[in-house]
Amino acid sequence: MSSNASPTVRVDAIGKRYLMPHAVHGTGTGGRIMAHLKEFLPFLSHQEDDYFWALRDVSFEVKPGEVMGILGRNGSGKSTLLKILSGVTAPTTGKAMLRGRVGSLLEVGTGFHPDLTGRENVFMSGVLLGIGKREIAAKLDEIIDFSGIEPFIDVPVKRYSSGMYVRLAYAVASMLHADVLILDEVMAVGDAAFREKSQRNIERLAGEGRTVLFVSHNARAVRNLCHTGIILDKGQCTFQGSAADAVITYLQKIHHYQPSQEELTATRWNLDDAPRLHDGGERVLTSVSLHAADGTPAREFHTGEPMRVRIGFHRCTLRQPYFAVLIHNEYAERVATINSSHFAPDLDAHGNGVAECLIEDLRLGEGSYYMMLDFGQYGGGRGLMTSADCVPNAATFDVSLGGYLGGIGLDAFQGAAHRARWSVVTSTSAAG
Amino acid sequence: MSESYRVVEPQTGVRIGFGDVWQRRELLGMLFQRQIAARYRQMLLGVVWLALEPMAQLAMLTIVFGFLLRVDTGGYPYPLFAFSAMTGWWLFSKTLMSVAGSLQDNIGLISKVYFPRLILPLAATMKELFDGGVMVVILVGLSMLYGYLPTAKIVVLVPLFAYAALIGLGVGLWIATVMVRFRDVRPMMGLVLQAGMYATPIVYPATLVPERFAYAYQFNPMYWVVELSRWALMDKPVDIAPPFFWSLGFVCVTVYGGLMVFAKTEKIVVDVQ
Repeated sequence: MSSNASPTVRVDAIGKRYLMPHAVHGTGTGGRIMAHLKEFLPFLSHQEDDYFWALRDVSFEVKPGEVMGILGRNGSGKSTLLKILSGVTAPTTGKAMLRGRVGSLLEVGTGFHPDLTGRENVFMSGVLLGIGKREIAAKLDEIIDFSGIEPFIDVPVKRYSSGMYVRLAYAVASMLHADVLILDEVMAVGDAAFREKSQRNIERLAGEGRTVLFVSHNARAVRNLCHTGIILDKGQCTFQGSAADAVITYLQKIHHYQPSQEELTATRWNLDDAPRLHDGGERVLTSVSLHAADGTPAREFHTGEPMRVRIGFHRCTLRQPYFAVLIHNEYAERVATINSSHFAPDLDAHGNGVAECLIEDLRLGEGSYYMMLDFGQYGGGRGLMTSADCVPNAATFDVSLGGYLGGIGLDAFQGAAHRARWSVVTSTSAAG
Repeated sequence: MSESYRVVEPQTGVRIGFGDVWQRRELLGMLFQRQIAARYRQMLLGVVWLALEPMAQLAMLTIVFGFLLRVDTGGYPYPLFAFSAMTGWWLFSKTLMSVAGSLQDNIGLISKVYFPRLILPLAATMKELFDGGVMVVILVGLSMLYGYLPTAKIVVLVPLFAYAALIGLGVGLWIATVMVRFRDVRPMMGLVLQAGMYATPIVYPATLVPERFAYAYQFNPMYWVVELSRWALMDKPVDIAPPFFWSLGFVCVTVYGGLMVFAKTEKIVVDVQ
């Protein structure tokens, strides 16, 4: 992928507007009648507020061999963008240019008919996606093999399990050898092994110099598969850059992880006004601070070294309270759960005070982390814990590799680095 | 230069796009096959049902109009008299219904894949022509049963029924266009078609129509389909009058206009669904 290659997809200030008179004239009989009339007779609706912009002024370019991820919440305009690029609907403003054969897969199993057999549906769906009959016939064995449902290929698809159905449908789509491939949420199908297979397939396509536009809610899939990414928010493109940056920006946004400059250097956080996971409960947690082994405030830690977490609380009235330190990486994936009930079931915390959690050796890889604090009551049932106060975003800290791993790389997405002892139990001489 | 570009931009002009349909003719074929195969597979008696419904209706018409009311058919056996007209009418009305519903019935496809939308009404028309072909076989069998052996005139049935389907297609395209916004049209269609059936000499002979209305009556294009199929099968005399050419002109305008409005509406169907 050379950076000066001319783009295969050029999107220039694309906008899409829908008529939504109901939103404006929702009240009163007269308003409602007017709204209906406007829907049926569009020439009545010339006011700007009768319209809703699903996309506004979106521009980007994608180069040959580039896999671009499109991130955004539900309703952010992702699907509308893909519909426009695949030609299903026309934009209201702007222009897009796609070079070469364009294939799009906005849904898995488009055109499948329940009464037709798997084999017949392969042809139906393939032709619908724009693959020629002859090409399908030539690749039929490959498709059936990819789907892994050979014994059932001549059975009507209405008798398939949903997994079989989806695998067959995706197998057809994977034969779509377009120069520009538009995929909407298709990675979410099938079991882990099948998803792995589909990922390989996309990687192969990119390797062949094809351009892939890819929408997914699966941040990990976007990070693993895509080179670049954009974020759509309320129809506007709010971020463009590398896939890794796009994923982090997106997740920070949806999890409200938007640390201010102040927070980035803080070692103590006041939790009185911090957002709670469940609103309305008693606010018991008041503060949290991070310290090095000797008790000095810190926010930078090394893998394999101790960390002290001090949790301030007040008005604690629970009989068997527990505290939990839950650590998440930047993808909001839990990487550690450190619960007082595991080690100190009879923690005596009444009224006001500070609880300290000493993590003897931090086994996290290099990166930034978010700390969630949970407080509640345990017991009453076997291992039953009832959360009373939970702060999803209590603190942030950074970890860098210390001597623990001998300086060998481990990042925040690779899980824990457990302390282990290695030895060779049996070995034979290579020369032997 | 072999590189092809696809440009996506706001829609302005209207193009019928037969060229695009031709490029995707494999899809047209597949959609046609899908409709046929799906229907006849889920019902083992698919073909039987196809014939049974009109035969049952024919039996009822024969009892009411032929036996009870004793409609004067001019000497032709009533079942054959009615059936020779019904075949064309059924082809017309079923094509109209299928074409009218073709956008809505396939909204799942339309909103997920791009292809020339005109393929949908065309596939619907092809399917009705297929069913119509089965009916013609039954019709010819019935006429032989009544002693009307097929003559060379029977060839006329081919363009005649194609014409009936074309009328259905033309009117259907207009209705499909209207139905994108007004879904209420669908229940009304059955009613209007039934009125149309009685406005055509199907269950009664055209001679029953009062003299002063007779001329206007012939502007109905289906009048000619019906009368000409009786001519082709039973040699019932028919005079080609000026209204025939007028109705032919109307049909051409309707079909062309239908194609144009359809081409315009297909672009917004996904947005207003």
